[in-house]
Amino acid sequence: MKRYALLKTLVPVMRDSLVVCNIGIPSQELFAIEDRDNHFYMLGSMGLCTSIALGLSLNTTKKVIALEGDGSMLMNLSTLATIGNRGPNNLFAVIIDNGSYGSTGDQASYTSAATSLAGIARAAGCERVIECNGDAAAKHLEEALNEGQSTLIVAKVESGNEPVPVVPLHPVVLRERFRACVSH
Amino acid sequence: MNAPFSRQIIDTLKEKQVTFFTSVPCKLLANMITLLEQDTAVAYHPATREDEGLGMCAGASLAGKTTCILMQDSGLGTIINALAALVQFYQLPIVMLMSYRGSPGEPVPAQAPMGMLTPELLKLMQIPMLHCHEAKDLNEIASYVDFARVKQGPVVILLDFHLMAGDQ
Repeated sequence: MKRYALLKTLVPVMRDSLVVCNIGIPSQELFAIEDRDNHFYMLGSMGLCTSIALGLSLNTTKKVIALEGDGSMLMNLSTLATIGNRGPNNLFAVIIDNGSYGSTGDQASYTSAATSLAGIARAAGCERVIECNGDAAAKHLEEALNEGQSTLIVAKVESGNEPVPVVPLHPVVLRERFRACVSH
Repeated sequence: MNAPFSRQIIDTLKEKQVTFFTSVPCKLLANMITLLEQDTAVAYHPATREDEGLGMCAGASLAGKTTCILMQDSGLGTIINALAALVQFYQLPIVMLMSYRGSPGEPVPAQAPMGMLTPELLKLMQIPMLHCHEAKDLNEIASYVDFARVKQGPVVILLDFHLMAGDQ
């Protein structure tokens, strides 16, 4: 299973939540599968997906899901310490771990070798961390959302991207339609 | 702790409905951080890096909040991309309260290089800056918070070393 197939299984589970999606091909693939107002597509600032989701979750009672990647998580590991100490129970994260930098040519990331993001998250203080194969991620996410307990899921998939176009929406349009979802 | 300037700054931000705060620490901001830690009327969550803090502020902004990050000006070097490609790109109002390390009074040589660059970097990025040299300058903070909302982007309140070092 690759990221695109995993995202297809996640979309039905995420429809009632606020979704912050990682920069690059992850956002493009999610947009191609199903564009929704509750999706906030990151168009820049690699590494900040989970931090944006954290700031949002601290300011809403709605459930917030970060769709993170292994390369971008590695870029901002210390936010896991903030989540481990301050993360509220309405914050959920799926780290799509394909062991590579998909948007830049599939260069190998360190999670393809010695590094465990689940281990780092646990050591950072995140209470509930699940590592699973990609095909089990949607079930784990659905259970976590139903239980209302903050959960970080490291979903292992194969490297590879779907040929999809860039997200054609203006950032202020994305901001406004997403804000409307947060406030309704 | 009397710290009248620190109290005035935080009170002004609260009066202007800034309700979400984060910080990366600085000795010159320590009194403000203590005030925020003790304040139950606002949300305050420390960040580990300035770019993480901006990400948290962006998320809070998507929930309609006006936010503030407290940081040293040296941290500006860490967040150029987050400012340009997130905060400015999505047009999010964020108040950046910066201690101006590397300004006269600074005892640490390594603070000087970024201190020399800070005003020029902010100008280059077209980020409005209120440079506070003395107490009366703090009275303009409220209008800069308003301007962040009007302009829908970041504004910087730059606090001189001497001004805040004397605020005990």
